[in-house]
Amino acid sequence: MEKTRKWRYGINRWIILLLLIALVVIMVFVPRIQPHIQVAPENVSHGPLFSLPVLGDFYLTNTLVAMVLMDIILLGIGYAVYRTIKKGDLVPHGLAGAMEALLEVIYNLTESSAGKWARKIFPYFATISLMVVVSNLMEMLPGVDSIGVLEESPHGNPLWVMIPGFMAAVVQGSAEHLGEGYVVVPYVRVLSTDLNFTAALAVVSVAMTQVIGFQAQGWRYLIKFFNFTTLISKPVFGLIDLLVGLLEIISEFSKVLSFTFRLFGNIFAGSVLLFLLGSMLPFLQSGMMLFEFFIGMIQAVVFGMLTMIFMSQATHGHGAEEHHE
Amino acid sequence: MTGDIVEAAKFIGAGLSMIGALGGGVGIGLSVQGALEGMARNPDAYGTLLTNMILGIAFSEAIAIYCLVIAFLMLFVL
Repeated sequence: MEKTRKWRYGINRWIILLLLIALVVIMVFVPRIQPHIQVAPENVSHGPLFSLPVLGDFYLTNTLVAMVLMDIILLGIGYAVYRTIKKGDLVPHGLAGAMEALLEVIYNLTESSAGKWARKIFPYFATISLMVVVSNLMEMLPGVDSIGVLEESPHGNPLWVMIPGFMAAVVQGSAEHLGEGYVVVPYVRVLSTDLNFTAALAVVSVAMTQVIGFQAQGWRYLIKFFNFTTLISKPVFGLIDLLVGLLEIISEFSKVLSFTFRLFGNIFAGSVLLFLLGSMLPFLQSGMMLFEFFIGMIQAVVFGMLTMIFMSQATHGHGAEEHHE
Repeated sequence: MTGDIVEAAKFIGAGLSMIGALGGGVGIGLSVQGALEGMARNPDAYGTLLTNMILGIAFSEAIAIYCLVIAFLMLFVL
């Protein structure tokens, strides 16, 4: 296998050049439309999937489809790695080797900051990072955010029917009559542009931080929030410690908010930027895709790493420093 | 008439909320400055400094992104 790869002038670069030229030609001859931007995820199904008495109707939204896709991709990766490891090779090749390298980096990072609690904290870091990176990079797939069902809308664009009753595209122009304007509701929309997903992930992360804090320190973990230990011995500074502890409670809630809006904001802003660039300067969109690829991976690592850092902080006791004095 | 005023106020508010991106810019500049000075003094620490710099940039960028979220909410939701 020791074969040095020679750089050859292959055919691939000409294909890419051809695609770029085709993009410019299409850009000139086919007028672009500005897509309809909506913060809340759209409903793909017309009727509700099922209804619960108190909570109301449940619809099949396009981010839910993306979540199922993400789960399938992750389970597929897991099964492929399991199959490779079951064969019993000492040195894993291909996908299993790549996953081993990735998880080793994550584990070493966790161990350097959490010490003996690394085995407990590592699953959260790895799961959150892998989930978020797969759901963010789904933005790069062709068809995501662009193929979907047509829906009538008052501020829509007219239709260009390709195959009657089966396929149509939305083209530029304004609809004269009501019921002639359509917008595309995509089947798959990037999962991280749904506030429900990021908020759920943030709540899981912060709640498990508390659980790990209790596991590490027992009931002494509550001293971080209700610090009555120094109230008697040092009256003035003890009161300040108590107030600082109460502020820690607020900071736990603000962690949820900042987790939620960091991931949502980065990815939603990226996809809006891609939509608007696609409607104004399509050839710049491919460059922006590269940037979004980078942002998607960075945000996944940031989400996981912050979870890890908060968890390893929760395992360190608050009262431990006072024994040194 | 009132609809037009509300529409105009939306755009003005979205523009005003983006002033907050100033802080993110200053923060990114400061963190890159610190990392570059460290790299110039100690080129061996290039790798770790780069990783931590990108992490810090992601955190300060998040502040600017919050402003962007507010601007988007004003433009597309309200």
